[in-house]
Amino acid sequence: MGCSASLPDRSSGRLVGANSDNGGAPDAKNLRVKLVLLGDSGVGKSCIVLRFVRGQFDPTSKVTVGASFLSQTIALQDSTTVKFEIWDTAGQERYAALAPLYYRGAAVAVVVYDITSPDSFAKAQYWVKELQKHGSPDIIMALVGNKADLHEKREVPAQDGIEYAEKNEMFFIETSAKTADNINQLFEEIAKRLPRPTTS
Amino acid sequence: MADKTFHLLHALEHRRDAYGFALRPQHVQRYKEYATILKEEEEERSDRWKDFLVQLKTSAQPCSFEKEDKLVLQAEPAKKEAERIQERLGEGDDTVDLQSLSDGSSESDHKKEEQLSKETKTSKVQTWASIRSSLGTIEDMMSSRVKKTKNMKHEQITMGEVHLPSIEETGSSNASEKDFEEEAFFNIVNDSVNADAAETDVGNGVSESVNAIGEEQTLGDGVTDIVNAAVVEKTMYGGVSDNVDAASRPEQTVDDGVSDIVNAAAMENIVGGDVSDNVDAAARRTEQAVDDGVSDSVNATGAGKKVIDGLYYNVNDAGAKKSVDDEFTPEPCFPWREELECLVRGGVPKDLRGEVWQAFVGVKARRIERYYHDLLANTGESKDDDDSSGVPRKWKRQIEKDIPRTFPGHPALDENGRDSLRRLLLAYARHNPSVGYCQAMNFFAGLFLLLMPEENAFWTLVGLIDDYFEGYYTEEMIESQVDQLVFEELMRERFPKLVNHLDYLGVQVAWLSGPWFLSIFVNMLPWESVLRVWDVLLYEGNRVMLFRTALALMELYGSALVTTKDAGDAITLLQSLSGSTFDSSQLVLTACMGFLAVTEARLQELREKHRPAILVVVDERSKRGRVWKDSKGLASKLYSFKHDRGSLVEEKKTTEGGDMLAKGDQSQSGPRSSNLDDLLDSLTVDPEIDSLPDLQEQVVWLKVELCRVLEEKRSAIMRAEELETALMEMVKLDNRRELSAKVEQLEQELSELQQALADKKEQEAAMLKVLMRVEQEQKLTEDARRSAEQDAAAQKYAVHVLQEKYEKAMASVAEMEKRVVMAESMLEATLQYQSGQDKAQSSPRAGRNPGFIQENTKRIGLLSFGLGWRDRNKGKPTGGEGSSESKSTNEPGESKSANELINPNTPQKETIEQECVLGDIESGFTTVICLSLKNQYQT
Repeated sequence: MGCSASLPDRSSGRLVGANSDNGGAPDAKNLRVKLVLLGDSGVGKSCIVLRFVRGQFDPTSKVTVGASFLSQTIALQDSTTVKFEIWDTAGQERYAALAPLYYRGAAVAVVVYDITSPDSFAKAQYWVKELQKHGSPDIIMALVGNKADLHEKREVPAQDGIEYAEKNEMFFIETSAKTADNINQLFEEIAKRLPRPTTS
Repeated sequence: MADKTFHLLHALEHRRDAYGFALRPQHVQRYKEYATILKEEEEERSDRWKDFLVQLKTSAQPCSFEKEDKLVLQAEPAKKEAERIQERLGEGDDTVDLQSLSDGSSESDHKKEEQLSKETKTSKVQTWASIRSSLGTIEDMMSSRVKKTKNMKHEQITMGEVHLPSIEETGSSNASEKDFEEEAFFNIVNDSVNADAAETDVGNGVSESVNAIGEEQTLGDGVTDIVNAAVVEKTMYGGVSDNVDAASRPEQTVDDGVSDIVNAAAMENIVGGDVSDNVDAAARRTEQAVDDGVSDSVNATGAGKKVIDGLYYNVNDAGAKKSVDDEFTPEPCFPWREELECLVRGGVPKDLRGEVWQAFVGVKARRIERYYHDLLANTGESKDDDDSSGVPRKWKRQIEKDIPRTFPGHPALDENGRDSLRRLLLAYARHNPSVGYCQAMNFFAGLFLLLMPEENAFWTLVGLIDDYFEGYYTEEMIESQVDQLVFEELMRERFPKLVNHLDYLGVQVAWLSGPWFLSIFVNMLPWESVLRVWDVLLYEGNRVMLFRTALALMELYGSALVTTKDAGDAITLLQSLSGSTFDSSQLVLTACMGFLAVTEARLQELREKHRPAILVVVDERSKRGRVWKDSKGLASKLYSFKHDRGSLVEEKKTTEGGDMLAKGDQSQSGPRSSNLDDLLDSLTVDPEIDSLPDLQEQVVWLKVELCRVLEEKRSAIMRAEELETALMEMVKLDNRRELSAKVEQLEQELSELQQALADKKEQEAAMLKVLMRVEQEQKLTEDARRSAEQDAAAQKYAVHVLQEKYEKAMASVAEMEKRVVMAESMLEATLQYQSGQDKAQSSPRAGRNPGFIQENTKRIGLLSFGLGWRDRNKGKPTGGEGSSESKSTNEPGESKSANELINPNTPQKETIEQECVLGDIESGFTTVICLSLKNQYQT
């Protein structure tokens, strides 16, 4: 369950997503972040979100049509709070046409694949490329290998994920929405990597 | 299936609603509140529908006669059958027959199949009518609008020459989907457009145009009547007659033989005219071509290419859809239409819903016997050549993934239910490969399966996806993207304030409406509301209800949305509010009554406006690296994306139809067996003859077109940027104002705080001063106390010493007393002795004796004084510290001097103090004694 911190510190001072949507007054202590989940169908995007937001896991969750939205606030140790505005997108290939609508302006993109499915890993790479081309330039990307509980059926070695993540300056983690393994860590790690707005 | 559903529905836990769908826990309470209301509504609804159906049954008969009359007037060369539907069906079939006759082709098997289907259709009509005879009437009405599509499908199956009729039909059914009132007007416009097209055709001054005229004249050999009739009808009845027109034209073409090219050109013109309300560019292209004086053969080539590219399928589809709407609206024969509409808006009774929906979608008319079974059989065998391409495998996998995720836990979706769902989705994917399988369809299919038998569910799904939501769920999802833009524009028009607020929050309207539209509100609203929306949507046969419902939701919840402070809150709020829209009647009525101005015509207009933008994006997307499934040339791409109603690969519409292209190519060498082959032949040959200049011209034109498109794109981007900066400015201004207000407030607070701080500081300083003084004082008192203590200790010590001295003194005094007593007694003895001597001498000094005695008594008094003093002193050795103190301070000098006086040799200074008092006393006594003794002795 490696967690390679290969992402360079992006403390460029530019507020990418934190409050970049405007709206609420920027506040160094209370960040608002638009996060989008991308990845092949059935890799467990919705399950990750549900686990994170509601602490539930439903093995028979519904198919996501279009996209669905949930938000969750977490508090960090340095007493900042981060409100994640999470867009969970539909996984089927053709819905990719609608994805830009959701990843545009997102500060964080979580690209999910299923460690038991090499296809989904390939699809994750497609998303990474797409984001590099068309996402925000400072977007923080996380590569997530989900379904880590099914390690006996593993087909994508963790090393592959780590290497790919390193190559693309992403942050890598393997999670299991079913056992809640690393789910909170994923979002906490993301929160730590967020650029802090300079006090206005 | 439906029966099973209803049985299962009775044994429901309370966490599921009346339809067996899971309720969200937070909605259980509200659902319970509404459950009784819904039940009452349902009862009322059932009564109303019952009345209506009974009434319908009685009135159905005259109506159909009326219809028959009309058909006769239309000069349809059709056999008159008793039942209107059969009449209608016959009409279509006859057309087909005519075509197949004129073909004179070898496709008898197709014909057989077609006849077969015709028979089954008839029989089906009867069987279904027996279930609910009145519903049949509704179904008739509805299926009339489906008929065209179905006919075309037939043609497609039987002759594979659909493109011609369909295109022509498209041309004529231009105005289709307009509302009833507008219908006539648009028809006129449409006709005039067609006329224009014809004129330009002629105006070309190219020889072929003569052919075209000639062709029309040659048509007069017998079919002319029909054509003329059709032309007349066109102006009178719009789409109804267009069918005739459409159906008849191709035969003429074929009969003519030579006029292929001309026909193709005409076709293209018409296509141009037709699509002009979809994509202006196509029309422009045609006009351009005409303006350039390009020969008809060029057009023909273009057309041929288009044909090869499979474009005509799209056009065909578009035409089909339009004609469906077209057909329906101008029906004057259903006086109960309005009543039905009203009823539908009030909701369809639960038990009737399955059948009513089928009637609305026109399942009966769409249905082709064995088609579904064939599709399923193919699934099993996978004998299809297209199948091996692996595309369906992709869908199959997706379907497998999604089946357990479709209404998970619904009682009806058990093992069998899921099997049905799987079959249904696979069959659809096979039926329409341009859509294949798209997430969301699983929900629709599941919903239909809950309400009707499997095969009927399939046809309902076909109607929904192929017609109502055409181009929505295809690979590129163009129409759904277009609709988002259209909806956003409507929102801006209707709720400018709300949209401004959303803009300010950074919320895009499409984020909210996208999932609504794509899922047709399934899982977005409570089920009762979803079904009520679907009632209207399926009845109307277009997507108007989608827009109206979404607008109604915004109207209902807009006021709440405006109060939100950030994007997340806004979206969450809307999600939860819409998720608890249990008042379905309010929703549907708001939707239907509140947004009457949102009509299909208006939507269509807006779609035309916004489609190019989407197409550009889609095109760029496809250009920038996504490999296209087939090797289409740039030309066709440019072309087809403009016409693309999502059905790029429509060739798989039916299994037979799927091979059309190949067949067309093959037929080059073979004998001319059919119209299609004929046409394709000529078309594919033509480009070979004069392909080079044509291609060059094409290329030039394409370059120009590309430049234009790019220009447009650039300007659009610039405009977008401008708007964005403007928006940013506005937002910034807004922010600034808010910020400055905040800053002011903060400053005020700050000054207040500073004031308070200063006060506090002052207080603190004062306190400090006081504290210091107190401390000083404390120090002083401490010092004083310490010195006092020291003094006390010293005094104590002194007292102690004194006490000791005193005791010693007392001891010595006691001794002295003893000695005094002794001395006294000695003195007395001496005195006695003396007196004895005196007596004996009788001394003359007797006179002196009294004096001596006097002196003696005096001395005793003195002694007693000394003792008295001692006694007095004895009384206050403890209490009279102060006095002793003062004595001790005063005494030493005196005593010293006294001591020195008495014992001048006293050497130790230390003992002086000790001795002094004693000495004093002692010396006192001794002096007294000595004095007295001296006196005695002196005397």
